[in-house]
Amino acid sequence: MKLLIVEDEAKTANFLKRGLSEAGFQVNVAEDGLEGRRQIEVGSYDLIVLDILLPGMDGWKILASAREAGVQTPILLLTARDSVADRVRGLELGADDYLVKPFAFSELLARVRTILRRPPVREASKIRVADLEIDITGHKATRAGQWLDLTAREFTLLSLLVRRAGEVLTRTLIAEEVWGMSSEGDSNVVDVNLRRLRTKLDDPFPRKLLRTVRGVGYILEDPDRQ
Amino acid sequence: MGGASLALLLTVWYTTASLAVVSAATGLLYLALEDNLRRISEQSLRDELGVCRALVSEQRGDLHALHEEVEVDSAVRRYQKFYIRVLDAHGTVLSTTPGMDRDLSSSLVSEEASNNQGIFKIDSPAGASYRAVVATVPRDAHGSEVWTLQVAVDLTQEQVVLERQRVWVWTLLGAALLVCPGMGFAIAHRSTRPLREVAETARQIESNTLNERIHAEGYPVEIRVLAVAFNGMLERLEESFARLSRFSADIAHELRTPVNNIRGEAEVALARTRTPEELLEVVGSCLEESVRLSELIESLLFLARSESPGDHLHRTQVDLRRLINDVCEYYEATASEIGVKILVNPGDEKLMASVDRVLLLRAVGNLTSNSLAHCSKGGTVHLSAQRRGEQIWLEVRDTGLGISAEALPHVFDRFYRADPARSRNSGGVGLGLAIVQQIAAMHGGQVKIESNPGRGTTVSIILQG
Repeated sequence: MKLLIVEDEAKTANFLKRGLSEAGFQVNVAEDGLEGRRQIEVGSYDLIVLDILLPGMDGWKILASAREAGVQTPILLLTARDSVADRVRGLELGADDYLVKPFAFSELLARVRTILRRPPVREASKIRVADLEIDITGHKATRAGQWLDLTAREFTLLSLLVRRAGEVLTRTLIAEEVWGMSSEGDSNVVDVNLRRLRTKLDDPFPRKLLRTVRGVGYILEDPDRQ
Repeated sequence: MGGASLALLLTVWYTTASLAVVSAATGLLYLALEDNLRRISEQSLRDELGVCRALVSEQRGDLHALHEEVEVDSAVRRYQKFYIRVLDAHGTVLSTTPGMDRDLSSSLVSEEASNNQGIFKIDSPAGASYRAVVATVPRDAHGSEVWTLQVAVDLTQEQVVLERQRVWVWTLLGAALLVCPGMGFAIAHRSTRPLREVAETARQIESNTLNERIHAEGYPVEIRVLAVAFNGMLERLEESFARLSRFSADIAHELRTPVNNIRGEAEVALARTRTPEELLEVVGSCLEESVRLSELIESLLFLARSESPGDHLHRTQVDLRRLINDVCEYYEATASEIGVKILVNPGDEKLMASVDRVLLLRAVGNLTSNSLAHCSKGGTVHLSAQRRGEQIWLEVRDTGLGISAEALPHVFDRFYRADPARSRNSGGVGLGLAIVQQIAAMHGGQVKIESNPGRGTTVSIILQG
């Protein structure tokens, strides 16, 4: 999968390139608006990450001219300006998604995967991660054959982690998906719940599946397949 | 006359009004004078007629006195000149005041008399004006012989007086025309002076002189009202300006600490060779500080955005009982971790309201989180949603430390922390309650807080149901 990042701020471009490359994408960077437009029209990319404030030609114009020229490549807009009007404008001009700085890199990665329809979401009713087996329709979770005694919320939380195993989930995302709450400023609540889940899921077993990614969130994965 | 100057308008109106008054007054006086003069000449005419009538009827045969009256007495008068003509039944002139034939021939007078009744006015061909009357007088008691008396009075003097009066009237009007606009302008200028002074003061007020006020003492009451309103506005401006600059200072201060941490940690880490573990620790810590910064920025933007008009709420029908249950469930684990009970008031029936669910969740969540932070082990946090009349009360009650009476009015201020020692480490940046208040205000509601130090605090979001 080939990605183009149009971003003039060197540090941002740098960490985006490194992060996305490590996530398995082939990444090119365009450092100003005109170069960005040239590459969009010439190169064959699967997705474009487009900053709005650019020298030469701003993101709005690039977006508009790309769509006018019939370029159908999905475009994800990055911006430091967060207003409803901007959001609407971006989507009207034909952007596929919109992300406001500062954002968590894991959030960007998740959105990129969603747009590329490559979400590691498993729709199956029974999912296995290492020796953890979870039956979503039957509301049952076992580890190494042992039944895990979980509350309803803990089960919802675990099934979210399992369905998106291998992906870092931010506290915000967890709070939204499990409780329908936005957790800004109060991420402690998610930590408490994950700590409790961990005592049931990982504490009795030598192999730990749930890992805290410091400053970002949580990931559930098979430690041996890392 | 949309954009015309007020002073000009006032001048025009004053001038018009005063000129109208002066013209009306002088005009009326002139008409009154004219009327009075007419009455006087008519009365004199009747008088004279009476005299002649008496002479004709009483002095039978003896016409000496009549001739004396007609031809001598009348002729010598200079100011109110009378002209009298006596005719017998056949129309023969018996006696005439000398000079009467020059302007008033017998036929002219009798012709005018047949066209008019009583006293009438004659304009002679020569241009002079007369008032005249014609009467018949019986010579004796039987009325066998009837004489005719033609009596006229010369109006030249009356016309001279009126002419002189007209000169006065025009002089007066001319003077008024000169004086009134000047006076009008002076009055207008004077009465708009306070306005100009108010404007001058307003012009001189800059962001750093917002403490200046307009001194309205001695101004007319209308201007005082304006000045008072203006001062009120200045006061509010000054207050919000002060709050705003305090707020910016607070923001800078709040940003300083996490930025300083990131900078310091990175600097120390790079000062010498570190193990990968040490570096990971530093990177992790920097990430935590960045997240804190992001959250601070998000909260600030939320407050800034919600204050600007045009940002709409996404209202839907929401069951508020269900909403507080959700909040309760969310915080349950945290509460039991610190040994605090979290309860929701019983009641199954729905409490529907049109609100922005996400924002209200955030508001009630903030309050609950605050309450939990202030409760010690064994405490209780109680959530409830109730309809009280037209209002809906969402209440979060705790048995925590409470807030002192001095701190209570400030808890909704941005970045205010009741206990300065309760530093950033205990979570939050001091914007939680400000956000709650903002969310309530966006819904057209308000927030009420009551606290008993040592016993607990109750915060209520009051919405119009």
